[in-house]
Amino acid sequence: MNELRELARKLLTDGEVRVIIGWESARRGARPMFVTEPDGADGLIFDARCVHNLVTYLNPRRDHVAELGKIGLVIKGCDAKAVAGLLREAQLTRDDVVLIGVRCGGVLEENELPEAVALTRENVAPRCYGCDNREPTLVDHLLGEPQPEPPQPAVTIEERVAALDAQPLQERWAFWTGQFSKCVRCYACRQVCPLCVCERCVAERTQPQWIESSPHARGNLSWNITRALHLAGRCVDCGECERFCPVGIPLTLVNRKLQQIVAERYDYKVGEDPEIHAPIGDYRLDDEQEFIK
Amino acid sequence: MTDVTDTGAAAPQRYFISEADLRALAADLLGAGTDVIAPVSVDACQSPSALATAACLRPGVAPVDVEYKAIGDAAELDLGRDLPVLSLKQFFLPDHEALCRWHQRGLEVTVEEVPTTFAPRVVLAAKPCDSAALAVVDAVMNWDYKDELWNGRREASTIFNLACPVIDESCFCTAVGSAPDDVKGADGLLTPVEGGYVVETTTEKGRALVAAHPARFEAAGDPAMVGRIRQTQAERAGARSRVAANLEIDAESVRDWIATHFEDPLLASLAIRCNGCGACSSVCPTCHCFDIVDEEEGVGRGTRRRCWDTCQAPTFTLHASGHNPRDDQHVRYRQRINHKFSIYPLKFGEVLCTGCGRCTRVCHAGQDLVEILGAIDIAARRPGEAAAAAGAAAPGDVEAAS
Amino acid sequence: MNIYQPQLALVTDVIDETPDTRTLRLEFQDEAVRESFAFKAGQFGEYSVFGAGESTFCIASPPTREGYIECSFKAVGKVTTALREVNVGDTVGFRGPYGNSFPVDDWKGKDVVFVAGGIGLAPVRCVIWNVLDRRDEFGDVTIVYGARSVDDLVYKRELEEWGSRSDVKMVTTVDPGGETKDWTGEVGYVTPVVEATAPKAQNAVAVLCGPPIVVKLTLPVLEKLGFADDAIFTTLENRMKCGLGKCGRCNIGPVYVCKDGPVFTAAQMEALPAEF
Repeated sequence: MNELRELARKLLTDGEVRVIIGWESARRGARPMFVTEPDGADGLIFDARCVHNLVTYLNPRRDHVAELGKIGLVIKGCDAKAVAGLLREAQLTRDDVVLIGVRCGGVLEENELPEAVALTRENVAPRCYGCDNREPTLVDHLLGEPQPEPPQPAVTIEERVAALDAQPLQERWAFWTGQFSKCVRCYACRQVCPLCVCERCVAERTQPQWIESSPHARGNLSWNITRALHLAGRCVDCGECERFCPVGIPLTLVNRKLQQIVAERYDYKVGEDPEIHAPIGDYRLDDEQEFIK
Repeated sequence: MTDVTDTGAAAPQRYFISEADLRALAADLLGAGTDVIAPVSVDACQSPSALATAACLRPGVAPVDVEYKAIGDAAELDLGRDLPVLSLKQFFLPDHEALCRWHQRGLEVTVEEVPTTFAPRVVLAAKPCDSAALAVVDAVMNWDYKDELWNGRREASTIFNLACPVIDESCFCTAVGSAPDDVKGADGLLTPVEGGYVVETTTEKGRALVAAHPARFEAAGDPAMVGRIRQTQAERAGARSRVAANLEIDAESVRDWIATHFEDPLLASLAIRCNGCGACSSVCPTCHCFDIVDEEEGVGRGTRRRCWDTCQAPTFTLHASGHNPRDDQHVRYRQRINHKFSIYPLKFGEVLCTGCGRCTRVCHAGQDLVEILGAIDIAARRPGEAAAAAGAAAPGDVEAAS
Repeated sequence: MNIYQPQLALVTDVIDETPDTRTLRLEFQDEAVRESFAFKAGQFGEYSVFGAGESTFCIASPPTREGYIECSFKAVGKVTTALREVNVGDTVGFRGPYGNSFPVDDWKGKDVVFVAGGIGLAPVRCVIWNVLDRRDEFGDVTIVYGARSVDDLVYKRELEEWGSRSDVKMVTTVDPGGETKDWTGEVGYVTPVVEATAPKAQNAVAVLCGPPIVVKLTLPVLEKLGFADDAIFTTLENRMKCGLGKCGRCNIGPVYVCKDGPVFTAAQMEALPAEF
């Protein structure tokens, strides 16, 4: 952690960045911190409570964050994939941000604790299992000691998706319509997603109106499925959507399922290299797909 | 069981009810066809399939939530005094609700009314902060124009609170004029004692409910009641001082400071990490802003509905011309604080908040209303200290912009 | 019937004021409503096309004309686009009248100056006719109205009518470049034209309405001419929804525009936070 604090202090003092966005420990656990004065760097922490994907603060619509000046962003491996996503889609210019990578061994599922605790099968965030970039590469600096693999959770997300897949169609339909009927259309999932950056979300369009605003079953199904589809091939598995959902809809299961389909059909997994293009939402003159010829 | 005699006195009437009798009361009401709304332990997955349920479980997270629900059976009544995820608001201002329906055939249009009277229902074991919130929102719903849908549901409901032991350090009901044993907005209060609950009725409706079910309630004449009442006083005073320790503010100074410091950088700085997700508005018992939309249900027919909306949404103030007076998150968050703690109190004499703490608990970006109100209170009451606190860079403070 | 349920109104006339602005004349279907409906100048309503939704406009016809109401609007969004499609004989919804009004009775014996830009003339037109229908109660009446071009002038027929009255000083202007070859009015932005017209401020009130930029630039000119800021009246265009003070959308600082407004004096407006 000292390494992080010293680097942050240096970057601010040298004027290389005007604000460091990282984490601090507050009354209810770790939370995002915005440091603009070198002395403030002493408040920065990094431990297993640092679950948040801070890349959401690079969203171009956050003017009041952009106004702070050039950002130095602290990121884990999963977060780096989100940065790659923004670069891939020309929502960000690489030179506009300094990326401070931290080596990560996994984060807690319940992170609102006064102090970090050791990761166990029971308390680790399931999405960490199988992480393939605990040492982010899309960085300007890489800090921290190499970390061990996160423990395998009691139930992995793959197992949960498989259990749902094993259900007959009617049961799966009942499950998801039941889940989406809880939705109150607060759009927390969208607001915290680092890749939901559309200036005018499809749900807000009124001419024509694609998605009904009311949180009845029909409107909610429409919204949640549309959002999931818009994230297919783009979602980085940060899990923030599910974490922020105030009514506890297991959104990561939908996103993981779509990832599996994209991997199977297009042999593609979201990675840290912005030069590797996504199969969906990408246009190339030399597109390989036969059907377009 | 002794007969209940309702003397009609203005002072609260007191009774004792055992837990068994409380469940029996719920059963009586259900048997008579009355809806009973109460906290219920809900499997977080709510799936008919046990296997899918297991698949949905989030390890490390309690697999149950407590929610207010219309119960089907008295056994569902959860008396554990946990805080339901969503407030009682949804039973008075549903997240979507028909305002009227239209039918159009050719040039002929007819508009169909929706009912504004509702079947009587009883809310048992409500959180005092949730009932108090209803009384707070009554003010705007009756400002000159009377909202018949809200009022109809209020009139149809008899609410008995269950005194709260204080959930955690994010509660602050006493700081905003409520309390863990508040009866505002409700018709009675249950306070746990050995073997059951002391019941205090505070309105005609509360008295009527007891009078209609005399077999379930023991009157105050019982000698054991003196001891029980002493127990409740200790319980209630203890809860009040526990929650008061979480936050103490001078709500009136806060109200006036916000009204006169609109452009103060402190207000703009409070939302630096806010994502504008609106989760806070959806779980809040006093947030009542709504949108009105027309939704077609078929050819030539549809429903005009209102549905929950939030000032935190970017499109809340978006004009059709494209102009947006609140076009960034920090000014939207400022509106939330302003409306709840200054504008609404100035207009209606009530803080638009009952300190339930849900907004703080549901905000995973770390927006903490206890911290925010504390910071404004410092600025309002002791301006010299505010400057010193900002300089000392206490944890959670946003550093001054360079 | 609850407070959110609309009355049904028949479209009896449709006037295309400009390429993008339309006026509808409406008559309530219910005879009792038709006969009892009354409102004050400055009040607004929620007009709806069933299936598209509701939109907020002032009532553009004066309260002194009974039996019908009018609204004028630009097609910029879902509902206004649908309103643009309605024809004579169609039925729309109406809720209202809502809001406060211009205190016309307080202006008795005073000079009244009207300044409007573009479609901002719609709410002002209502109070202009209200005053003209009671003409001898007031002093001098001056109207300064401007739009981007000749085509963009609304209520063209009425501009002519007002201009032809001997008891009204009518100044119409178009932005430089917006004039046609046979244009006989002024050429210039509303603000300098108001300054040049120099209406007397003593014992006078001013009504000002238009796009935000016109209001912003013209207010100081009126103040320079000597109009006190509680003698200048404007009507705030705001994103409103319920019109009844419940949905929270129009809340700006200490006011709800739909209940405490939409008519405000310049003094009241200046006290509001800059969120409109």
